Order: sequence, then structure tokens, then C-alpha cells
Amino acid sequence: MLQYLVILLDDTSVAYCHAENPLRERNLIPLDTLKKAILFGMKENLMIQYVYPDYDLPEEYNEVIESIDHVKIGRDVAVYSEVPKSIAAENAVLRLSIADFIAKQYDIAAILPQVTRLNICLTDTETFKDEQAEDYKKALATFNAVLINQYKAGKQPQLNILTDRLQLKEMHNCGAGDSNITIAPNGKFYLCPAFYYDEKMGISNRLNHHKPSSERSVGNLETGLQISNPQLLKLDHAPLCRICDAYHCNRCIWLNQKVTWDNNTPSHQQCIIAHLERNAARDLQQQLKAAGFSAGEEIKSIDYLDPFDVREQF
Amino acid sequence: MIVKETRKAWQKGSAKSITFIVTKDCQLACKYCYLVGKNEKERMPWEVAKTAIDYILNHENDANFAYESVIWDFIGGEPFLEIDLIDKICDYIKTELYRRNHHWFNSYRFSFSTNGINYDSEKVQRFIEKNKKHLSIGITIDGTERKHDLNRVYKKTERGSYADVVRNIPLWLEQFPGDGTKVTISSADIPYICESVLHLYDLGIHQVNINCVFEDVWRDGDDKLFENQLMQLADAIIDRDLYKDYACSFFSENMGKPMDCQLQNQNWCGAGRMLAIDAAGNFYPCTRFAQYSLRDKEAWIIGNIYDGIDQNKLRPFLTLDRCTQSTPECVNCEVAEGCAWCQGENFDAAQTHTVYERATAICKMHKARVRANNYYWNKLYRKLELEGKREEFEANRKTNNGVVC
Amino acid sequence: MKKLVGQVTPEEKNEIQTLFERRNGLNELAKILTADNTDLYEKLVKDMGETGSKFQNWWDTMAKKYQWESAKNGNWEINFETCEIFLVTPEN
Repeated sequence: MLQYLVILLDDTSVAYCHAENPLRERNLIPLDTLKKAILFGMKENLMIQYVYPDYDLPEEYNEVIESIDHVKIGRDVAVYSEVPKSIAAENAVLRLSIADFIAKQYDIAAILPQVTRLNICLTDTETFKDEQAEDYKKALATFNAVLINQYKAGKQPQLNILTDRLQLKEMHNCGAGDSNITIAPNGKFYLCPAFYYDEKMGISNRLNHHKPSSERSVGNLETGLQISNPQLLKLDHAPLCRICDAYHCNRCIWLNQKVTWDNNTPSHQQCIIAHLERNAARDLQQQLKAAGFSAGEEIKSIDYLDPFDVREQF
Repeated sequence: MIVKETRKAWQKGSAKSITFIVTKDCQLACKYCYLVGKNEKERMPWEVAKTAIDYILNHENDANFAYESVIWDFIGGEPFLEIDLIDKICDYIKTELYRRNHHWFNSYRFSFSTNGINYDSEKVQRFIEKNKKHLSIGITIDGTERKHDLNRVYKKTERGSYADVVRNIPLWLEQFPGDGTKVTISSADIPYICESVLHLYDLGIHQVNINCVFEDVWRDGDDKLFENQLMQLADAIIDRDLYKDYACSFFSENMGKPMDCQLQNQNWCGAGRMLAIDAAGNFYPCTRFAQYSLRDKEAWIIGNIYDGIDQNKLRPFLTLDRCTQSTPECVNCEVAEGCAWCQGENFDAAQTHTVYERATAICKMHKARVRANNYYWNKLYRKLELEGKREEFEANRKTNNGVVC
Repeated sequence: MKKLVGQVTPEEKNEIQTLFERRNGLNELAKILTADNTDLYEKLVKDMGETGSKFQNWWDTMAKKYQWESAKNGNWEINFETCEIFLVTPEN
């Protein structure tokens, strides 16, 4: 069921998830389109998330934006593409390559106590090599050490890739096209901003060889949402994910389509990373319990990193 | 001492099927052929075939090739147009399997599906003689002359090919006595089903593997006509006692019942567990995912002979199950058992880029088949019981190989 | 005439099936391998002898173990699907 409406206020709105935003030319959403998008959100009872560009919007936009309850990504939620010296916002997104994540783990650890919540988002998940697993585990252990100290100091730190799993009892994933939908400045719906970027960049959607097209939209504000095969965006139609307990995994639909060519199938790399995090969350949980904290339902020990290796076979 | 081998479904389930698309050319232009991109240019070069074999044999222990046995399959177009290349490939495979002490040396087959036109040529016959113990060859003959020539016509003249195929059937049956033929049914063929199957029996073919095309070609009323044809066929097979020695895949006891999503959730199709290689050296999950087989989608290439297999591109295939790809109507269908699909056609007809959307164009034809199939078994069992021959039948019954793609 | 005279275990069947396949493979390889490919040729000749012996040995061992019925001018046959052993004798 849809719960969130993401509104890209400009083509250059900040990238806040796995996909880079390659668009460099400003293209502000027309005010009329913005109003229609808000109206759609109100009628469908959706929580609105505005995604801001790095420039100030015209005054008339601010009034419209404030007409509905919302979150401002790129404003309330700070988004960084490199590790900052310090963070002023309570909530922040840190987008990094795998190499930077590993190389700058101590810099990240240093800013961790400064925020209420930090979301780390890898920008090159699909390039992850199995040989990087040990380094990735070490970085996660570095963060675990910081988190334990924060708990001991009476805080409730949140680092998406480690602490989210402690609280979750079921899958809580990206939800593109299922729990959230994106409106672009052209007034069209997309499963998430990444699909809009691909369309704008002319990347083929592989849908129709004889009529090459980068068309990625799933409807527009005039005719409404038209998602084909919506069931394939849901957990029960994802054979690998429905048996998985890396509940915090992004299960990025865009990466699925990009790497395995099927929306419901995650790549080996996505699964490995999510399971390294899941297992590190288990370590964190055990350390917290040993220190006398309650830390959610027990995360079981498992002997695989990719659920493909233990998939249901008929 | 003699060791006799049954020729049916060799090493079913434990054999890796590796298909060489040796040419995209064919003498025929069959009207129901799903190969939309046939051409005379894309012939597999020897270097590509050799590199493919080397790649596969170098990866003996990879999960993709960890099968007890292997079926080296050759497809076209018409594979025997490239008999010189095939001969060279097979010699190389045999020699390399042996030189490397590869476990497949003890368990391999060369498989062909041919239109049969040049079956009696000197080169093809020399090849058969050389590899006889390891061959499985199916000649496609569609039935009576009028049924066969309705679809299976020469590409330039549109002349029917029946006469050129039927003359080779006795030689083929002499060399491969138990082998069956594959018959394809599209809308225009329906009136000739009964006469065609009986004609194939008359030719001495004991196993007729027959199926309706999966594409969306069916017209209003086709299901009724189809059901009537199958009932006529059922009457003929039973009344003439043909069931004792002949089999037709349309009639199977294991069909037409509801299915359970827990216990009967296996995928119908083996795409992804097979491997196909084209003239450019690209790998596919099955030939149906190569560009010449696809109407509306871009080819699903899973790697190539130089860079290997991209496992991520295979994951959707290797996680496929019946219920996840089926519509709620199919999941809840009262006669689901035995209803087939082709993963390639599912992909080609899908609304999005997925192998998880089951095409249902065949639905009404399957339901008609179920009704006729029920009629067949009810009639046959009643006859056997009245004659007191039920037990004898059970002990000696012919099995069939089910639906083929 | 063909008469069912016994049955072997699936493991025993697998053993003779592998030998049967190997023998066929060697015979067909022999048709294309020439003596100028010295190493492989020598390996093949040796292998054919060894495989033939193992093949014969299997039948001897099984016949002794199961005491199958035999007949003058008769042969035993195995069905790989059912593991059944048949005695086949010429029709008079």
C-alpha cells in the first residue's frame, strides 16, 4: 500500500539513495505540477517527501510546499556525498563508494555521535567483490564499537545498516512502487528517482527492442498511476527476499532491474552486503545484551551470506 | 552379455543441456516458427565453437556445470546444414573430454532436432555412423501431407516439404527405432490433428510428442474444434487398440488436477539450467532468449565465451517457481496440472522486463485438452475393465515424454 | 525369448551403466583418433582393454552373487530404468 510520495522539486534535486543524479541542468517543477502532486498526495493520504536542489526556491514555491505536512530531503535531512568534518542536522544521509566506506571508516565513526540518525548509502553496491567482505566486516565492527559506547552513555544511536535490524521483525525495504512513488518535474510518476534519471539520460529500459525507448514512467498526474506487474514489487513475489531475514536490506528495485534484469531479484552483491550487515547487527546485539541492554528479538546465527545458496528448490 | 539402453528421456534431470545455435538458416519457412530472426549470415565459426567448448570444459566444477551428464544439443535453423562444423565440434568434444579425464566422457549425448530433409545425405549418414551410440535425433514430421504442408513449406517457393521428409522416415526409424517425432499445433492445424497422429503411427513412429504453440494465436472456437479432434483421436486409439504400442503426449493421466503451491511449485521450464551459445559466442539461458527468437524484447544474454557467465543474469531463472510467476487464476485453476509454458514466450509477451509473468494464451486449449484427456482415460479404463485387461495394461503401458518445447 | 531372471541394486546398475557408456565412448573415440596422436592413442588402447575387463568382471561377479538362470546360446540383458536382468534366448 502506498504511504509516501516523493516529489523531485528540480532535475538537480539531491541524490539521497543508491543512484547518482547525473542531471546538471536546473529544471524546476512547474508550480501547477507541484500543486497537482500535493493534491494527489492529499487524496491518496500519502506522506510527502520533498527532494531539494542545492539552490533556494522562488518564494511562491515555499508557500505551496508548506501547505501540507512533509519532510524536506536535502534540508531537514542533510545529504552528504563525502564524509563531513561535522554534521549539524539531526538526520543525515551519507552516500559513499564501497572503497570510501572502508577507507574512511574512522572518519565516519567520529561523526556518528553527532547525529540522531545516520543513513549510510553505498553508491556502487553492484561492484562489490567477495574479497572485500573482510574489510567491510571490519568497518562494521568499528561502528559497532562506537555504537556500544553510545548506548553505554545512555543514548539511542541509529545507524541504518546496523541498528535498524535490531528493531525489525519483518522486511522493511525500499518499497519503490509499493510503499512509495516518485513524481518528477515533468509531472510523471516513477518507481523512484533513479528511474527518472535513467529516462532523462536515455538509458534503454530493455522493454522493447524494436522500439528502443528509455521511457520509465508509470503514469502521470493526469491519468494516474499505471504500474505494470505491480505484484513483482512486493515481497511475496520475490522468491529470494521472502525467505530472507536481512530485514533492513534496501532491496533496491532499481538495482535489481539494473543488475539481474528482473525487479524482484536482488544481485549477489546486494545480498552479500545486506548479510554482512545483518551478521554485524547480530554481533552488536550480543554485545548489547552482554552489557545488560535489551536489544530486540534474537538474530539467529546463519551459515550463508547469499540466500540464493539456500533458496527453495522444487 | 548385452546391455540394452532405453532411449526415452536420457538421464532426465541430471543432464546439463548445452545448445549450439550453429546456424540461423533453414531450408524451410514454417508458418508457426517462433524464430523471427532467421537468416543466412549467422553461422557459427569453428573458433567460436572451440572457445565455447574450452570454456565449458575448463569449468567442470562450477555449479553451472555440476551435472552428472551432458546433452550437447545442436539447433538451427536447420542444424544439419552445418554438418561439417557439427562433425568437427563432436570430434573435438570427444577428444577433449577424454584428454582431460572429464567426468562427462562417461555420460554424454549429441542431440538434434531436424527437419529431416538432408537426413540421408552422405555427410549426415557418415556422421551418424561415427557417433551412433551417442545420438538422439528427432525428425519433425507434422502428420499427413496436407497438415505438414500447411505450415512446413520451403522458404522461397512455399512448396510443401512433406515428400522430402517422409522418404527419410524409414531410414531414421531403422537407425533410431524408439525415437519420437515432435508435432506442433497452431490454429490452422486443428482440423488435421486426428488424421495426422494416426498417420504418424502408420509410418511406424510409436511416440508422438505434440503440443500447441504457446503464442497468442488462438481464435474463438478453436478450443471446441481441438477438443473434438482429440476425442476423435481418443476413439481411434482405443477402438483400434493402438494404445498398446503407441503413445501420444496429448493423453496423460498426470494432468487436469488442481496443484498445490507448496508441494507442486516447480517451474515447468528448464531455462537457466540449460545453456545456449550463438554464432557470436554469446550465452543464453535457452535458445528462446536469443534475439532471433524474440519478437518484442531485447535478447537476454547471460555472458559470453570470453568473459564467462554473469551469475546475476541467471538468478531470476534459478529462483523461478510455478506460483510466483502465475496469475491468481492459474494458481487457483482446478485443472492446472499439465498446463505448460515456455519461459521465452512468457518473457517475450510480458508487460515488463521479467521472466516472472506467465503468458496464458494457451489457457482455453489446455482446458479443452483436459476434457478430451478425461474422456480418453474414462473410455480406455472402462474398455480394459470390461475385457479384464486392466492389470495387463498397467504392467505393459507405454509412457510418453510429455510436452516438449 | 526374454525372461526376467533377477534384479541388481541401483548402485550396481550405475556401475555397469558407467562402464557401458565408457566403452561406447572409447569405441567411438577410436574411430577418430590416429596413432600419430601418440599419448592419447596409447591411453585409449590401454583404457579399452581395462574397461572391457571391468565390464566382463561386473557380469561375472553379479552372476555369481545372484545365481541368475542361464541357458545355452543365451545372453543376459539389463534394463537401466528398472535394474532388471533378463535372460534372452534365440527363438526356435
